[in-house]
Amino acid sequence: MMDSKSTLTTSFMLKLKHAPTHISFWIQCSFVVIFALMLIGPITNLLLWTVAETWYFPHALPSQWGFKYWQQVFNPYSDVSGSLLTSLLIAILTVCVCLLVSIPAGYALSKRSMPFRVFWMILFLIPQAFPNLTVYMNIARLFYEFNLNGTLLGVVMVHSVHGLMFSIWICVAAFSATDPMLENASRNLGAGPLYTFFHIVLPQAAPGIIASCIFVFLESLDEFTGTFFVGAPDISTLPLLLYTASMEGNYQIASITALILLVPSILFMLIINKFMKPEMLSKLGK
Amino acid sequence: MTRLHIENLQAKYGEKLILNNINLSVEEGEMIALLGPSGCGKTTLLNALCGFVPISQGDIFSGDRVITHLPAEKRNITMVFQSYALWPHMTVAENIGYGLKVRKVKRAEIQSRVNELLRIVKLDNLQDEKVTALSGGQRQRVALARALAIRPDVLVLDEPLSNLDAKVRLNVRHEIKALQKQLGFTSLIVTHDQEEALVMADKIAVLHKGEIVQVGTPEEIYNKPNSPFVADFMGAENRIEWPTEKDGFSDSSHKITLHQSSNNEPSNQPKQVYFRSENVILSTRQTNSKIQKEEGLILTGHIEQSAFFGSNYRISVRCGMHIIQVDHTSDLPMNTPVSLQVPNHALYIYDNIVENKVHQKSTVV
Ligand SMILES: Nc1ncnc2c1ncn2[C@@H]1O[C@H](COP(=O)(O)OP(=O)(O)O)[C@@H](O)[C@H]1O
Ligand SMILES: [Mg+2]
Repeated sequence: MMDSKSTLTTSFMLKLKHAPTHISFWIQCSFVVIFALMLIGPITNLLLWTVAETWYFPHALPSQWGFKYWQQVFNPYSDVSGSLLTSLLIAILTVCVCLLVSIPAGYALSKRSMPFRVFWMILFLIPQAFPNLTVYMNIARLFYEFNLNGTLLGVVMVHSVHGLMFSIWICVAAFSATDPMLENASRNLGAGPLYTFFHIVLPQAAPGIIASCIFVFLESLDEFTGTFFVGAPDISTLPLLLYTASMEGNYQIASITALILLVPSILFMLIINKFMKPEMLSKLGK
Repeated sequence: MTRLHIENLQAKYGEKLILNNINLSVEEGEMIALLGPSGCGKTTLLNALCGFVPISQGDIFSGDRVITHLPAEKRNITMVFQSYALWPHMTVAENIGYGLKVRKVKRAEIQSRVNELLRIVKLDNLQDEKVTALSGGQRQRVALARALAIRPDVLVLDEPLSNLDAKVRLNVRHEIKALQKQLGFTSLIVTHDQEEALVMADKIAVLHKGEIVQVGTPEEIYNKPNSPFVADFMGAENRIEWPTEKDGFSDSSHKITLHQSSNNEPSNQPKQVYFRSENVILSTRQTNSKIQKEEGLILTGHIEQSAFFGSNYRISVRCGMHIIQVDHTSDLPMNTPVSLQVPNHALYIYDNIVENKVHQKSTVV
């Protein structure tokens, strides 16, 4: 007993000795906490809404808690499940379309001998140069003539136009970062251009390509404006559902949807962090 | 039998002429060194052979096959790249077996060939290592094994030793030569190091500004350089140009005389004389008796500098305007008056008809 007491006192004395460091430690801590609150505050509000069954205005906290709305959302026949599936399907199709275009285009544009290289790369940025609304309204008008409005294909096309900007640029960077000598070595040993592309070039560029897929996927999941003009009301994705739910004052559904949308973003940010190499971006300018 | 034959080859980068009028034959089992200063077009020549640089004129034959315009994968000439160009996403064994896999060889057969090569290049037990985990010397061997795996018609090596440190370089140099003797592959090796070329090659082709200026055995190139450029490049770095009136030999202690035994041409005819520092016989005035015969090039001057080279001293002797480098067994104090003699057989004399035109075929004495 005495022993433990004496150790306690000594440790307390030690703590006192290091007091200045502790003070700065606590200051740092409080900064981190304040900063986190600023970031997390809105999210906390959102989290509260997801578990609030009734929450009326003047109250600081919900008056009734529960997972009623979660059940509603994850009911296989609910709007949310349906929209989630549509969103995922559209996102995956968009990724496929973008890959099909940007792998060959990225490879071609990474070769400095390619004529009008810069022109092509700028071309894919042009849709972003105009206000989103203008672009999408015009696309919607155009799609009317081809009966693409309200179809999955139409929405996938709109998302792809948007996604191609990321995927082309990232793919060009990824292919530019590969060493042309490695290709030469493969040809030298008897492999044709296609075999070389799939066995040597593609594996080298894979991290960048995966990163571009993730960007396109996330952008597609979050896309609202284009889907609204081209897809609504026949196609309902999660962002559209979130919009309708908020408009109707159904904050619980809106919050849960938002939370669902948050999950892939966080997951993929972590993956990107692992795959994206800074050297790749530096090669773009060459 | 001629394994590789290059005829009047010309190659350009855009409008820039890089290789011109290249003629070269490589016999079966022969190792030819392409020797030249950096930037003279050695790598370009190998790239042209492998099909990475288009050929604007001339022909390349591999055996009886014309391969001038074949795509790279159809040539069966493999290269050991200067940067090795190993594939970082593959293991050592996958790198070596790649060429066989492309040719759809059976897996078991690939495995045994890879093992055989690993043994040949002394990399056993490293087959599952990622190439990024290897040292420079080991990467070099993987690159060599990869190029040899498909039994190419010709192996070309682009400065295979330039990225290795001095000690490893000597080992690998020896190993490549031994391997070539043992396996008997036909090869072209590029180097800018004359010693490397002399030691490794059966024949040397000296390249200068995109043209081959001399082809011959190492002995021929070393002893009978056919032009001032080759003489200089092969280490005959002392150069004196005739006439020497303006070179400050008027002083009684700085004299120059050239005695040529064969013909009695007037020694004032314009010409250039090259010789190696190792062929200069140095004698101080006291031991003048060393010069027994008035033969060859005789100079007098005084010592300006002396540097220790390990096996000998490199002594700089001022003779008029010139500084002559001399190899000598012992150190000598500064300003010692000395006389130098270079025997006729060690002098490379070129008629100085067109000044500074190195390609000019000149008479060899
Ligand atoms: N890709 C290229 N484009 C234009 N010129 C080049 C290229 N590669 C090399 N050269 C030029 O060709 C000449 C020969 O180069 P190279 O064959 O690499 O020389 P070496 O291997 O003998 O050092 C050099 O003058 C170089 O500037
Ligand atoms: Mg080179």
